[in-house]
Amino acid sequence: MTDSADYTFECPECGESMMVNASMRDALIDNGCVICGSTVSQQSFSTA
Amino acid sequence: MSLDQQTELSSDAIDELLARHETGVLTLARSDEPYAIPISYGYDPESNRFYLRLVSTPESEKRQFLTSSPQARLVIYEEEGRTYRSVIAEGTLNQVDPDEMTVEHIVQYGDAKRPLFEIWGETKRNLDIQLFELDAETLSGRKVVVDEDEE
Repeated sequence: MTDSADYTFECPECGESMMVNASMRDALIDNGCVICGSTVSQQSFSTA
Repeated sequence: MSLDQQTELSSDAIDELLARHETGVLTLARSDEPYAIPISYGYDPESNRFYLRLVSTPESEKRQFLTSSPQARLVIYEEEGRTYRSVIAEGTLNQVDPDEMTVEHIVQYGDAKRPLFEIWGETKRNLDIQLFELDAETLSGRKVVVDEDEE
C-alpha cells in the first residue's frame, strides 16, 4: 500500500513548499518545518 | 612528568557523547583553503548519520565550499572536570533534496537545534537554508584524563 502525497505544505516562515503524505504532515506538525524549524500547524497544509 | 590517561571511546560512549550535545565544528577544505564553522546537528546512531541545517546568503563564502559533495570533518568535544572527550566524524557531505524528504528526515531535523537565524538580520524567507547529511565513514572518539599533578 503506498502513502501518496495528499497535501501541500507551505511554511508560514520560510515559504518552503512541498508535497507531503499524511505521515509527513503529522511529523511536520510534531517537529516543525524541516527547512527552518518553525512551528507549523494544520493551517500550513492544504489538500493537493 | 606523568602521562595523562588517554583511551579510545567505545562505540556506545561515542553515541552517548553525541546524544549529549547538539553543536560541533564542521570543517571543509578547498585546495589548501580551510573553512570551519560551528553548526548544530541531529544524529542517528543506527546509521551513523548526522543531519545539518546550514544557512547562507549570496555573499556567503560557505557556498564556495559546499559544492559537489565535499569531504568534511565534524568535531564534537566536551570537558568534565579533569576529563576531556572528543569525537571526530569524517565523511561526505551530501545535500538533501526537499523533493526527496522522508518522515525520518523530518524527525531528525526536528532534533537538530535551530540555527540562530537572528544573526543574519534577515527573515527566513530571504535566507538560503539548505539541508545536508553527513554519513560518517569513520567515527572515532578519545578520552583524556589529566593528572592532578599537571594542574
